[in-house]
Formats: sequence, C-alpha cells, structure tokens
Amino acid sequence: MPSLSQQQMLEIFSGLVAVGSCLDDSESLKTYGKDWTTAWEPCPALILLPASTEEVQAIVGAANEHGVALVPSGGRTGLSGGAVAAKSEVIVALDRMNQLGEFDPVDRTVVCQAGVITGQLQAFAQDQGLVYPVDFASADSSQLGGNISTNAGGVKVIRYGTTRQWVAGLKVVTGKGDILDLNKGLVKNATGYDLRHLFIGAEGTLGFVVEATMQLTSTPKASSVLVLGVPDFLAMTNLLDAFRKAFDLMAFEFFSDRALNYVLARGGTRPFETVTPLYALLEIEHVSEKTLEEILEVFERVKLQGWVEEGVMSQSQEQAHALWQLREGISESIASKMPYKNDLSVRVSKLPAFIEELDEVVRRSYPDMETIWYGHLGDGNLHLNILKPEDQSQEHFFQTCNEVNRHVFEIVEKYGGSVSAEHGVGLLKKPHLNYTRSATEIEYMKSLKAVFDPNGIMNPGKLV
Amino acid sequence: MKILVYLKQVPHQDARLDISSDGTWIEESNIKFEINSYDTYALEEALKAKDSEGAEVVVVTAGQDRVTQALRTALGMGADRAIHIKDEAVDASDVLGVAKVLAAVAKEESPDLILTGLMSEDSGFAAIGPMIGEFAGIASTTAVVGIEREGGKLTVERELEGGNLEVVEINTPCLVSVQTGINQVRYASLKGIMQAKKKTIDVKTAADLGVGDAISPKLTTEKVSVPVKGETAELVEGSTDEIAAKLAAKIKELGLL
Repeated sequence: MPSLSQQQMLEIFSGLVAVGSCLDDSESLKTYGKDWTTAWEPCPALILLPASTEEVQAIVGAANEHGVALVPSGGRTGLSGGAVAAKSEVIVALDRMNQLGEFDPVDRTVVCQAGVITGQLQAFAQDQGLVYPVDFASADSSQLGGNISTNAGGVKVIRYGTTRQWVAGLKVVTGKGDILDLNKGLVKNATGYDLRHLFIGAEGTLGFVVEATMQLTSTPKASSVLVLGVPDFLAMTNLLDAFRKAFDLMAFEFFSDRALNYVLARGGTRPFETVTPLYALLEIEHVSEKTLEEILEVFERVKLQGWVEEGVMSQSQEQAHALWQLREGISESIASKMPYKNDLSVRVSKLPAFIEELDEVVRRSYPDMETIWYGHLGDGNLHLNILKPEDQSQEHFFQTCNEVNRHVFEIVEKYGGSVSAEHGVGLLKKPHLNYTRSATEIEYMKSLKAVFDPNGIMNPGKLV
Repeated sequence: MKILVYLKQVPHQDARLDISSDGTWIEESNIKFEINSYDTYALEEALKAKDSEGAEVVVVTAGQDRVTQALRTALGMGADRAIHIKDEAVDASDVLGVAKVLAAVAKEESPDLILTGLMSEDSGFAAIGPMIGEFAGIASTTAVVGIEREGGKLTVERELEGGNLEVVEINTPCLVSVQTGINQVRYASLKGIMQAKKKTIDVKTAADLGVGDAISPKLTTEKVSVPVKGETAELVEGSTDEIAAKLAAKIKELGLL
C-alpha cells in the first residue's frame, strides 16, 4: 500500500465524518490502536468515528481510491490482535453507531447498530421479558459488531451456541464499498449462499458489519450453580457426560486449583475445604419441581464412581454470582503474570485422549513454569495459560512458549481441533492457522477475501 | 445451647411469576423455591454459634410437602434437627395465625435463642419475628446486623435509618430477627444434603401443638396483581426550541401555571 503522510490522510478522510469524529491525538491513537493483547505496539494513522452506514461506505470508497488500509474497531476486548493497528492503518471505530432500532415482538428480533454494547442488548432483551443469551465476562464493553466479527462464544455456548446462532440478519459494507442487506431476519431462506455467515467470524477482513438483526429468546427458568471438586481430567469428562445425559445444561465450565488460588488471592471464598486438582462449574435450569432431587441423584451416582470428591450448590442469586466469579475472575486474576494464552478446542468426544496427551506435553515442556487450566469443557474448549516466571524476560518467555506451542498445535491437529476456539485468529494465531485449516482451505479463504475486498484494504495482515 | 431457626421457603429470585387463576396469589406449580435469603443469614448465624461454642440447631418451617427441600438443605448445611408444620389450616392462615403456631413450637422446644430473618421476600410483612416473641413470652429485637453473646445476655447492633446503628442488650431466651449481610452464608454441601436424608424431620400440625383452634385467619388477600404500566408519560421530541415550546404549551394545557 502507498505510504501517505498524516496530513494527506487527514485531508482524505476528515471530511467524511462529522466534526470531532476524526481523531489523531496521541492518546486516542494509543487507545484505539490495540485490543486486550499486549504483543504489538499500537501505531494507527487516524481514528474515524462514523455515525451512519453511508459514512462507512464513503470511508471505504476513499480507502479504495487511495489504497489505505482500514481496521474495524469495536469494544477492543479481543485476545488475538484482530483490532490492532500497528502499521499506520486508519481505524474505523463503530462507537457512535450504538443505537438499538426496531424491536419486533412477534419475531422477537431487534435491529442493532454495530456499536451497541453486548450488555446494552442484554438489558434491552430483559426489559422485553426476553433474553439475549450470549454472555461473557467482557459483555459490558464488547460491541456487537466485534462479537459478530469474531463469532464470540462465552459461558453459555453449551446451551445457546455462539453469536452466529443469534444473527437473523446482517447489514454490511463490503471491502468493495457495496452495502449488502443479508438474510433480512428470515428464519427460512433457501436461496443459495448465505453470505451472512461469511461475515460472521470474518474478523473484519471482508468488510464492515454495520447493523445486525439479533434474535432474542425466552427467559430460562430459575437455575442453580454447582461447583464440584474433581480429581482428574478423565473424571471431569465422565462428569460432563453424566450431567449432560440428565440435564440440558446451561453451562459446564472447569478450572484448576491453581486458577482458583489466583482468584481467591483477590477475594472470595473457597467453595469447600477439600482441595481437588480440578473443579467443575455447572449451571442447571430448574425445569420442574423435581430438578433438585434429580441433581442430588446424579451427584450421588458420580460420587460413588469417584468422579467427584465434594460439591456445593448455590442457594441464592448472591451465591450463584459468587460461584461464577470463581470462574470468570480467572483471566483478570492472572493478567499481571503476562500469561501466554492458548484457546484450544476439540470435539467433546475426543476430550479425554486430547487432554491426556496435551497435559503430558505441557508437564514435560514447562517444568519450571506455572500452567493454569480453565475453560468451557462442555464446548470442548480449553484455555491453557502459561505464566511468565518473574525472572524471565518477556521476549525469552514468548520465544519458549512459541517453540512449545508447535507441539501443542500438532496435538490439536492430530485430534482435528482448533488453534482458536473463540478468541479468533487476528495477528496472534495467523502463523498457526495451518494446524486447523488445510492449505487448500486457506487458498479458498484468500480467494473469498479477494471477491469482497479486491484491493485488500480490510484489516490486512489478519486472519488469512 | 439450643438455637431455634425459623425458615420460610419462597419463590427463587429469578422465578418467572404468574398470578394464580383465583387472582389471590402466584401460580406455584413448576417454579423453583429456595430458602428466604433473610432466613439463610439467620441459619448461618446459628451454624456459626454451633461451630464456635457448640449448639443444637433446630430448623422450623411451615408449608406443604415442598418445604422439606428447604429443611433438607438446612440440615445439609449443618442444622441438627428439623420440624415441619404440615397443616393445611396453617397454610390457609395469616401471619398472626402462623406466628401462634411457630410460638407454640418455641414453647415446646424451650430454646436459648431464636433466630429468623427480618422479613420474607414473598409477602414481606416483617412481622412474624416480633409476633412469635410476644406469643412465646420472650423478648425480641429486629433488623440485627451484629450479635455478641456473653452468658445469658446478647449485645446486638440494630440497623436504623440513614446508616445509623442502635446497640441493644437483651436477655436470653430471646428472639432476634437478622438483616441480610450480617455474615457470609456458607454454601450448601451436596454431600451434606444427601447425608441429611438420615436426619430427623418431625412433622406436626397446629393441633399437635395445642393451637389448632386459634389460627383462623383475620386477614384475607383480596387480589394480587401486576402493577399497570403508566400510560401518562409522553416523550417530547424535537430541537431544543421545539421541545421548550411543546413543554410550555403542555403546562398551559394542564393548567399547571
């Protein structure tokens, strides 16, 4: 791409958005130029804050004309560098397109601009007596456009699936500058390629998601949260199987005792005195008066099998929240240790053998480093975090992790898994995409990108 | 020391509530019930006393079969014994009638201390504690956020308006109704709840307690309803000048000036 001066950039783009919506001060450039990753130094040229689809279209037109790279930006809570602008790109932040539009009580859908915060949609759904069920720790800052572009998952995927399942319609501005209104909120639409799904999870490499018609659903009945002490991974997967057979689970998460200790160091109470290597967190909807009895029956069975040593159940919303905090607080509790994050997945049926092999490699490869396991076991999704020893430089640490990760990814490939279950590919996982996608598949992906973004202006360097 | 804890089972805070067909209560079938959260703090206070100085903790509740779940949970958390008042006449009574029955249990058990929650989350009278104290002939105090026990005397802190606290001394036996947040309620152990199946639940009626004739309700519920959403709100839109003009016209129209 041709290199333009800051002044030239300003001349090209500043008139395309409202006064005050083109930022080039150093603080804004630093803030908007990165996501939650720390490996790249932000270095964008400009920040544009469009207020309409037409403004986005005009920006894309100008970028094509002048060969300027654009980086779409939402809540910037990503963990793969997908929203990082480190090469003088122009950031297009959808913050100002944050309005909820028409709500249809019959279809139970609501039109949302891309900059709507996830929590804003959740609160709106609640006001209608409904629920937007995709939920995660960053729901109060992540934006819908980002959720869609990364096909965000979260803690209730086992019950409700990922963001993809809740997008009934999508309006996009392609990298060519065309506005496409995809699927129009239809439940059934057998008219060929569903382009909507290409843009979901595309990480902004095909164009901009500017508006989405989101599906809402019925509020579940009251639920209970259980935390169970589990001796090993095999018992954990047996436990998942036993509870899945008995209940339509709302969540099945796991974390290690080390992870728990990091959370407890910042507050909270150990769920029970017995210390076990692993813990399972389950959320179960009380679909009938008998659910409590049924929970106890399954607990009794798994206890007899030796898959569980101890367990507690929430008795109130406060306790349910406190138990969830033991799981949701992990990421934040280890943040200061500069963790090297892995976000791996395999089919649930392959979890026992996969985990056994992975655990062996991790023990052998990181004898002196602290490893923290947690994740969404019910979705086959494991977060393996390696913590940086205090006396090691960040560079040396990342180098070691990268080397070991080759072995980790080989196991992922062997089991037909994914090197990025829910964090996306971005910059971080791009070099490892080949462990999950075949060379031919990647070529097709590149060809698809060329159709929607022939000049390669959309988030270049990311994903493919 | 013997501590009696009165619990009530109420709909779960997240339960979807529908009005019952006769319009006098909620539809109770197929919703999750749990121990009234105020009462869980009372139970925790009793279990703390049991852990630190040894006490027999007896939990008491009234209601239909489903309330045994609440009692089993309390037993699973560490209570020693449970009493279930299972009597349709008690269920059909009012707060005064239920208080008489629960006071009769207190007279029979002669505890050193009675603990209960300040109020229930469903009917919210906040009256049953003092009523039980009165009928049982013992002193009572309410909205307690701190308890210290020395000999036959308790020193308690009561929560008043505006963040103020009142310190009260009260001789035992007595009844104390506690405010939420007085402690951190322990989790219910699943193993404990399973083992609690072996613990005793005594089932009694009002007649067993000698108060069968004294509980006919003096209070009846006429109607339970969902508040009607206000229809008088009007959104005034437009530029600042337009909004100001519209508001001025409205104020004049309503004769407010």
